[in-house]
Amino acid sequence: MIRDLEKVRNIGISAHIDSGKTTLTERILFYTDRIHKINEVRGKDGVGAIMDSMELERERGITIASAATYCEWDKHNINIIDTPGHVDFTVEVERSLRVLDGVVLVLCSVSGVQSQSITVDQQMKRYKVPCIAFVNKCDRSGANPVKVSSQLKDKLGHNSVMLQLPIGLEDNHEGIIDLVTMKANYFEGEHGERMVIKDIPEQMMADAQTAREEMIDAVSLFSEDLTDAILEEKEITEELIMTAVRTGTITRQMTPVFLGSAYKNKAVQPLLNAVINYLPSPLDIENEALDMDNNEESVILESRFDKPTVALAFKLEDGQYGQLTYIRVYQGCINKGDTLINSRDGKKFKAGRLIRMHSSQMEEVEAIPAGHIGAMFGIDCASGDTFVSPTINYTLIAMHIMEPVISLSIVPKDNKAQINMSKALNRFTKEDPTFKTYVDHETGDTIIQGMGELHLEVYVERMKREYDAEVSTGQPRVAYRETITRKGLFNYIHKKQTGGSGQYGRVAGFLEPCEEEFEFVNKVTGGRIPTQYISACEQGFKACMDKGPKLEFPVTGIKVTLEDGAYHAVDSSDMAFKSAARGGFLEAYAKAKPVIKEPIMKVVIETPNEFQGSCMGLINQRRGIIQGSQEEGVMSVVESQVPLSDMFGFSTVLRSATQGKAQFTMEFSTYKQVPQSVAEEIARKKQEEKAK
Amino acid sequence: MLKTDLIHKSPVSKTIGIENVKDGRFGAVLSRAGVGKTSFLVQIALTQLLSDEKILHISLDDSIEKINLRYSDGYTNLVDSIGYVDPQKAVRLWEDINLNKVGISYTEATFDTEKIKDYLKSFKKANLALPSLMIIDGLNFDNNLSTVLDELEQLNQEFSIFTWFSMRSHREEDLCEDGFPIQLETYKDRFEKAVFLQPVEDKIEAVILKDSNRTHQRNRLDPATMTIVK
Repeated sequence: MIRDLEKVRNIGISAHIDSGKTTLTERILFYTDRIHKINEVRGKDGVGAIMDSMELERERGITIASAATYCEWDKHNINIIDTPGHVDFTVEVERSLRVLDGVVLVLCSVSGVQSQSITVDQQMKRYKVPCIAFVNKCDRSGANPVKVSSQLKDKLGHNSVMLQLPIGLEDNHEGIIDLVTMKANYFEGEHGERMVIKDIPEQMMADAQTAREEMIDAVSLFSEDLTDAILEEKEITEELIMTAVRTGTITRQMTPVFLGSAYKNKAVQPLLNAVINYLPSPLDIENEALDMDNNEESVILESRFDKPTVALAFKLEDGQYGQLTYIRVYQGCINKGDTLINSRDGKKFKAGRLIRMHSSQMEEVEAIPAGHIGAMFGIDCASGDTFVSPTINYTLIAMHIMEPVISLSIVPKDNKAQINMSKALNRFTKEDPTFKTYVDHETGDTIIQGMGELHLEVYVERMKREYDAEVSTGQPRVAYRETITRKGLFNYIHKKQTGGSGQYGRVAGFLEPCEEEFEFVNKVTGGRIPTQYISACEQGFKACMDKGPKLEFPVTGIKVTLEDGAYHAVDSSDMAFKSAARGGFLEAYAKAKPVIKEPIMKVVIETPNEFQGSCMGLINQRRGIIQGSQEEGVMSVVESQVPLSDMFGFSTVLRSATQGKAQFTMEFSTYKQVPQSVAEEIARKKQEEKAK
Repeated sequence: MLKTDLIHKSPVSKTIGIENVKDGRFGAVLSRAGVGKTSFLVQIALTQLLSDEKILHISLDDSIEKINLRYSDGYTNLVDSIGYVDPQKAVRLWEDINLNKVGISYTEATFDTEKIKDYLKSFKKANLALPSLMIIDGLNFDNNLSTVLDELEQLNQEFSIFTWFSMRSHREEDLCEDGFPIQLETYKDRFEKAVFLQPVEDKIEAVILKDSNRTHQRNRLDPATMTIVK
């Protein structure tokens, strides 16, 4: 691995589903000599793209897990993470962004900035990842890269600046004009592998000059030298422009826009040059960790090999040789045989086999130095763990992880499936923090939880394929919550005398709604409840939050204020006050007007214009609220908020209503109170279930 | 309470009259470019939202984000005009009434009354309350719109939905004999109500061009907030 970090790039390729990012990655690997044959994503050869290594991914033509790979271009080492485009798998995207230094945002030249691009953009902002844009599919009918560039400005607020112009569009897309070098680039050979540089065609010269002037004008903001050169009418060199673009990009003040067609092998090489020229090296990015021995003080990590090691496990995979842990090293260097500590649990381990991944093929290496992405074998850890040298105790800042909103019961078909299922679940929960599992003690069913129907569907499918665990699934269930809507007082005495020592505890105070999940305030004065029992009271109240008294859903948003109480010198105990707290909770809860809350999803449908009305109708029929609809060219985007419980099976309904031409994305938005009629229906179902 | 106060403070209650907003078929807000047609239309729509009615705002100029922004600005201006209001209450009310607003953004080429009809039908199918007011902002009344207006009249009858339009007049054009801009003159029989906005000194004057006994009434509005100036 290259030790000169100026020559290392850790990049991600992010975009909306079907924008062609896997195809683009495939082309990059081809041009950088990492693969010798191009396979299309849903190719007729039945092979599928290299990056889509899971069987299921190849079949569905989508990328589920982000496969890491590396390649070399112009003496630089580029580590690439291919990120999934479907919103149900956003945690994959988030984890990737955490370890990347830059992103290539792939946009479709026909559809432009789509809903998923907006989500990915928000995530890029959260992790402050600089990006360059690649407007793909310029060969498609209706391609309009200029429109896409302006959408980047209007919809995402990027300062987008086009550094290229297309030579022809749609069927006539031949190549690009590089506005920095002012040359035309064409791509010849069977797979466009020969980049031929020619003069700009005469008929395009005027347009190119105007576009270059506009570009230089926009870019000059980031370089005084360039501004001086313009004012003094000196020669504007390529280097001056490139330095300014690099500064603007790394500081996230501008987004250079490139274009081409990965599928038609056009303009991928200039994009690779742009990755080298404009995206940051690990040295350009500041990474922070928290020093656990020093009151969680924030520490800046240095990409130096002689410093103690700090690395992040950002992805786990269970392969045929055991657990494979993808890591990014931020500081120091991991050598084979080094002793490291997992800062989450303090466990020591030895770094065994170190490898560099090329999709699912691996290459053994001796060391993974700071700034690089690699993988280790045989480490027992969870995704998001920090590995450090024994001399320090740092942890990398926790990633933003969302709570699951949907659950499904699964029942193994036979005993063999039962064993395999638990193996699979064990691995999946380690790999994906948004995927959770537990056993319902009342029904004995295994429940899996995730971020959407498709998310769970994929895991059930993977259980069958990868672990040979045949399971039958129940109806998906929504993660309802209970909460209170007004203040409720309690004054409860727990008193029991059943032989032996008795139990006595009195608690008084009130419950009220709050923003936090649970809050406990102790306002007891004069020792009316001795201090040693206060925490038992808190535990007693907190224990009630797991199962709400109304319909047994978890309770959220409750503030308990304990104001008064009483104890008995002999009969009071922790146990007695816990029981008193439970009694107090139940008493106040009933008075505090409890309600059921349900997850509301943000649903964005993209449909051909002629189906806009029917799509809006579908939302209306599902208790949805349409927030707006916008027509962009031949497509309409309908944005809405719909309760998750009404979204089951939506993809089938949408397909049949739009002849399969519309697609939708769904992500969690908020929790809202359910209307009375729906609450009654939920209560009825719950009763029926109990009766069974 | 806050709802009633806001409705009372609305420039619409002084100019058109709240009870009058949905009386008839079509209404128009006229002015030359940049005076405040859309802002005034938003105020009309807000009175309905505050009366717990659903509204549909169709724009041929603005993106959906812009439409949403115009409504939240319009609401903020209205709230500010009544002096001190508990900010949390105001936000909660906005979150409630905002759910009854649907914005649709078309272009001149993609605007089609059939699509609106499909959408309105879906309310009936799902047994939901229909929007009672539709705003159509950005139709070009310099073109021949007879067919479109015919179709919209049918929607009006089928779905009992009243429609307010923005109508752009031009500085260089003289008013017609009856004092109407030419854009209104052409279709005057179809419109029961028309408000003309014109800059006077540093204010905007809202002149009722057509509305039975209110005709010729004049009120001054603050150009920044569209609220009534005393």
